[in-house]
Amino acid sequence: MADELLSAPHVLEYDYRRSLGDTLSRFFTGLRDREILGVKTKAGRVLVPPAEYDPETGEATTEDWSAVGPEGVVKSWAWVAEPLGRHPLDRPFAFALIQLDGADTALTHVVDTGDESAMQTGMRVTAKWADETVGAIRDIVAFVPTPGGGSA
Amino acid sequence: MAERCAVIGVGQTHHTAKRIDVSQAGLLREAATRALEDAGCSWADIDAVVIGKAPDMFEGVMMPELFLAEALGCVGKPMFRVHTAGSVGGTTAIVASQLVKGGIHGRVLTVAYEKQSESNAMWALSIKIPFRQAIVAGAGGYFAPLVRGYMNRSKAPEDVGIRVALKDRLNALKNPYAHLKFPDIDFEQVASSPMLWDPIRYLETCPSSDGACAMVIADESIAERADKQPAWVQATAMRSEPTQFAGRDSVNPQASRDAAAELWQKAGIQSPRDEIDCGEIYVPFSWFEPMWMESLGFAPEGEGWRMTYDGATALDGDLPVNMSGGVLSSNPIGASGMLRFAEAANQVRGQAGEHQVRGAKRALGHAYGGGSQFFSMWVVGNEPL
Repeated sequence: MADELLSAPHVLEYDYRRSLGDTLSRFFTGLRDREILGVKTKAGRVLVPPAEYDPETGEATTEDWSAVGPEGVVKSWAWVAEPLGRHPLDRPFAFALIQLDGADTALTHVVDTGDESAMQTGMRVTAKWADETVGAIRDIVAFVPTPGGGSA
Repeated sequence: MAERCAVIGVGQTHHTAKRIDVSQAGLLREAATRALEDAGCSWADIDAVVIGKAPDMFEGVMMPELFLAEALGCVGKPMFRVHTAGSVGGTTAIVASQLVKGGIHGRVLTVAYEKQSESNAMWALSIKIPFRQAIVAGAGGYFAPLVRGYMNRSKAPEDVGIRVALKDRLNALKNPYAHLKFPDIDFEQVASSPMLWDPIRYLETCPSSDGACAMVIADESIAERADKQPAWVQATAMRSEPTQFAGRDSVNPQASRDAAAELWQKAGIQSPRDEIDCGEIYVPFSWFEPMWMESLGFAPEGEGWRMTYDGATALDGDLPVNMSGGVLSSNPIGASGMLRFAEAANQVRGQAGEHQVRGAKRALGHAYGGGSQFFSMWVVGNEPL
């Protein structure tokens, strides 16, 4: 038996790079301009966030782009009662799948209602933009209940 | 394993240092859509997808096949990911061919890639582990002693590696997809390039590339109806061995010799030098050409370098090797093995363009990986065996 059992920290870090390509670059520069863009598949569905391909068939998507939202419907949600440091908001919030008006797919984002009791599947929400936009998903700070929006 | 199968479509990207204009999915799709187009089929015609790439740490995406599934039209279809380090592109193609040979699927898409610009393979291969000596030398540092070992054994002239590099760099000038192209390359430029890992010089080394390769592999009934000449998969072989064990011959590994022996036996080949028309083999550092020529049985032990020296492996030699410019000219690591297999297929399909070996009927595709420990190879022909 060894007199002492050794261990040491093993720090493994590297600054990787990510390239978005044409389709997602267009989506994120759209956000910078406070516009949410979707792209149409050959079958006519509008994908938001957009993809280079139709996820159902693998076929390339079209060049037919359209602005969607900024309002939409909460399709599903999970309440985060005790946010951690790296969470998007410093107060309780919901992660939600939001189908924006004009889109056929749902976007993962954050809904800020302050209280879980205000959350409801089918509720209408509106994008709240950051004061400064940079071309990233957090250019939308959160979605908030649409005043008088009710639910779908 | 009785069904015949053939490559009916080949696609690849233009390999280059940085493809910041495409995402990882976009890079794969470029190669895949070209392969589908070459095969005259659509995404809907594909029954299953087999994807390969080198270690996940190279791009820092764990299990990238999961997020790439939709981009490769895999929804509702079987998808498999293969990993055998640098040889993975070859192994991936073998797995795809076996799914067809086994009668499981009629038409399989196989894709391999690396996007080295989003990462640093040298870093990923040189991790400093606590308590252990850090060499920080990457692949070149690992393979340089093996090259020196070969030089000592064979007593080959010092300039064999330079001649290999010059040949492959000249071949690359004929390949529109090759990454490195030096239009004025000559012996002196290679010889005077900096010594990176003695005895390996800068211009005797592969680059870091972004790129992808794809093939459509189909069963006999589909291949016979293909518009273009199919490349029939006549034999495949794969072997592996541990990186280190007592008595290991890392210069001419047992796994390499065993895989080659099985390959030639399955293909019914008695004399590879006479019966193979050209070979695309995995040469990331120039000296590995003579090393593999011996290990594969194209030359007696200690004599492989003569094939380079005598011009036998040149494009106009009796056994052209690395007609495309090889790994020395393009190295999207995960795809590099598949590019070798795809070049072999294109040669027997008569689709190799300016680097076509006239009348090539039987070709070898070869890849190795890890610490010279994974070996994948296939023989393709213009006719089924």
